[in-house]
Amino acid sequence: MTDHEWRDYAAPYALGALVPEERSAFESHLAGCADCRAEVRSFSEVAGLLAHAAPAAEPPQALRDRVLAEARRVRPIGVGRRGSNRAWLAAAAAIVLAIGAAVYAWRLSTRVGALETQLARTMMEKAAADSLLADLTGPQVHVVSLASTDREPSARVFWNHTTRRFIVLAFDLPPAQAGRTYQLWAIAAGKPPMSMGLFNTDSRGRAALRLPVDQAIVSLGFIDNCGLTEEPAGGSPQPTETPRLLGAWRHTD
Amino acid sequence: MSTVPSTPVPDRQLVERMAGGEDRALGDLYDRYGKTVYALALAIVREPADAEEIVVDAFGQAWRQAGSFDPARGSVGAWLATIARSRALDLLRARGRRARAYERAAHFSDDGMATPVASSGPDPGRRVERGEARQLVARALAALPEAQRIAIELAYFEGLSQSEIAERLAEPLGTIKTRMRAGMEKLRGQLTPLLEGAS
Repeated sequence: MTDHEWRDYAAPYALGALVPEERSAFESHLAGCADCRAEVRSFSEVAGLLAHAAPAAEPPQALRDRVLAEARRVRPIGVGRRGSNRAWLAAAAAIVLAIGAAVYAWRLSTRVGALETQLARTMMEKAAADSLLADLTGPQVHVVSLASTDREPSARVFWNHTTRRFIVLAFDLPPAQAGRTYQLWAIAAGKPPMSMGLFNTDSRGRAALRLPVDQAIVSLGFIDNCGLTEEPAGGSPQPTETPRLLGAWRHTD
Repeated sequence: MSTVPSTPVPDRQLVERMAGGEDRALGDLYDRYGKTVYALALAIVREPADAEEIVVDAFGQAWRQAGSFDPARGSVGAWLATIARSRALDLLRARGRRARAYERAAHFSDDGMATPVASSGPDPGRRVERGEARQLVARALAALPEAQRIAIELAYFEGLSQSEIAERLAEPLGTIKTRMRAGMEKLRGQLTPLLEGAS
């Protein structure tokens, strides 16, 4: 497909009128095409103006109060957060060395069964750590900081689009109660939350792990938020509580 | 508390202040866009109670995500409209009311769209701008060939894909694609004054 043909997708994309396969293909193209991104932006503004084409309607006076009351229940994401990615990566590296190798040793065990010396073990640990760090720092990595409403962020989730993995790092998160588990949710505007996977923290409140990215999550398109809830062991199809931690996805760069 | 400034604060600044946790800024944003967002939600879901719910949700999402709003990706108005429309369409889908909503689509051009906004409200400057936007948009849509306008309206207000529109109208998919693209190009040309004014 030529670039010119791709440009024809910009208007229907802005209207949300592409079928899912077209949308995914176009979004892949968008990632590397500034011209098409500019077209999308421009048509999205046109689409935004179409809101004015709705028949005039007067909202009830009380609606303003409801909007404000709802907002007062939740702090905006990022308020009070000053930690940089660099600091997080350093912390992540430390955790990786402590936990990462153990987490991934089993995945590599079939391939490294012959490696019995301490040297080999050390190399393996380093490889696992490098691999996880590579996942955290690749060019196509999105990140979300999950913050509760009354404390510093205590979890961060990286989404490596190249390796299609979520990397979950949690600090100071007390382990889920007996018989329960933590569950992460991908939250796209106007859609039911979709489970990203389950995990638990250790007795020190830490976790570092990778989760595969389900195709269903990729198909959600633009994902606004990531939330964390505590659920019965085995997880729930939909969250059963208000997220304890919530954050908005953003690029690492 | 400060006095109301004579020059309106740019939308973007309001969003920045929201990201800082200032709920007064959210109130200001609501005063600017609440009516438009409500009208959009109502046009899609048609039930006032549902439309109110969507407005609360949409502004709630804007509040929570104010910190990640990126002006390079578009205006505040377009951002809010996108959030609200997406939630409204989702509700529409969830309730399986597409067919009913579709039948109402024809009403848009006849009654609502060309109607100038009523002149009442606490903020005359803003209201005039909104009224002008409404009129410009109504005029631009009215200037489109009907087939192009319908294709765009079905996508925007009913959330139909090009394939679904082709099916509904029993037209070839290629025809719908061409109409939608041509219509959006024309709208973009006609709405240039509003687009350039976007903050």
